[in-house]
Amino acid sequence: MHIAEGFLPPAHAIGWTVAAAPFVVHGARAVAREVRENPESTLLLGAAGAFTFVLSAIKLPSVTGSSSHPTGTGAGAILFRPPVMALLGTVVLLFQALLLAHGGLTTLGANAFSMAIVGPWAGYGAYRLTRGLGGGLLPGVFAGMAVADLATYVTTSLQLALAFPDASSGFAGAAVKFLGVFAITQIPLAIGEGLLGVLLFRVLTVNARPELERLGVLKS
Amino acid sequence: MTGLAIDDAAWSSAWRRRAPGDKLLLCLGLTVCALALPAWPGSLLVGLTAVVLALGPARVPARTFGRAVRLPLAFIVVGALTAVVEVGSGGVGWAPDAGARAGSLIGHAVAGSAAVLLLATTTPMSDLLPELRRLRVPEAVVEVASVVYRLLFVLLESLRTIREAQTARMGYSSLRRSYRSSGALAAAVLTRSWDRARRMQEGLAGRGMETGLRVLPEVLPSSRSFLAVSVLGLAGIVTVGLVVP
Repeated sequence: MHIAEGFLPPAHAIGWTVAAAPFVVHGARAVAREVRENPESTLLLGAAGAFTFVLSAIKLPSVTGSSSHPTGTGAGAILFRPPVMALLGTVVLLFQALLLAHGGLTTLGANAFSMAIVGPWAGYGAYRLTRGLGGGLLPGVFAGMAVADLATYVTTSLQLALAFPDASSGFAGAAVKFLGVFAITQIPLAIGEGLLGVLLFRVLTVNARPELERLGVLKS
Repeated sequence: MTGLAIDDAAWSSAWRRRAPGDKLLLCLGLTVCALALPAWPGSLLVGLTAVVLALGPARVPARTFGRAVRLPLAFIVVGALTAVVEVGSGGVGWAPDAGARAGSLIGHAVAGSAAVLLLATTTPMSDLLPELRRLRVPEAVVEVASVVYRLLFVLLESLRTIREAQTARMGYSSLRRSYRSSGALAAAVLTRSWDRARRMQEGLAGRGMETGLRVLPEVLPSSRSFLAVSVLGLAGIVTVGLVVP
């Protein structure tokens, strides 16, 4: 779920775009350097972006019978590192806005901040922490993908709370409201995305071991 | 048919041959008006203009446009209702001007979405991406984004085919199986995307194109009358939007 076009007041839309810009520019520089050094990585990075877009089209089965979609940025952050995801995630958000009417152009900065920056960094942090504490690849992937999903929605809720503070209880009250509606309901889906990640990486360690070793996810 | 209704509409729209820069000026202008002008009558004017232009001169199928406008509605309505609920010491209730505020939020968001959708349903991504170069976006980034656009339809097709095969084999008959199938589906799509990228790279390298696939951008001439009418129309919307309230 992304913030829809026109939903944020102009000052917030501009503010979040300015906040997201350094991360996205840093990601763009990383991508440009990578492409200059290894021209063949253009296609691999394009494939990574297309995969992130398509991953959001996989329905996540949920206990309640309804289904929702994974954010997919956790997997990307583990495979390709957060700086690259800041750029790829923004490109994917632009595509979602223009091909799926999901998100928007003036809210692109705010959505990029939550989905392409906070989500991947939080997820990558959880992944590294779990692996550093002795958890293996799969527990790390579960933590990384679940945290990336949840962090994205928590950030979106806080962005909405900042834009629409409660009339009597201010930002804190609004944060409780938006977290209750958009983040608490997301917890089962975040766990679902973590499980999906475990199943995804379990297949990958069998079928795509050389690629995982090349990306540094597995030691050769 | 590419499988994404908005993309199909963009390729077959009557405005497909118009210069992307012209359409960008009109649609971004409308988007900014939807955001900055007061909801009454600004949002109404922008929304009506976008719908009339899309269904009229641009000949976008009404069904596609209607469906696409409805998609973000769930978020807009839930978000607007949450924004106008008041949490105070006395419990939960409606904020004093709840109706007007929710109406204004929904108006801004629906009008903005319609304006962006006018751009999306008349301009394919492959026309828009070269415009990014003019905004000084690095060449490498535009290239990567173009590859994303070219690959995602191939991957969506793979996704559909694999899911159909899994469904036919009872892959989604229980929650447990659904998860296992979804995991295998994601892994298959990822390895296919790598495989595609590698094969494309080898094909290009074999033809001596090591820096990626260069294609000549299609030159679509800009229309002065279109630009003039767009600017006049936008000026009209701004004037009415500021004077009437």
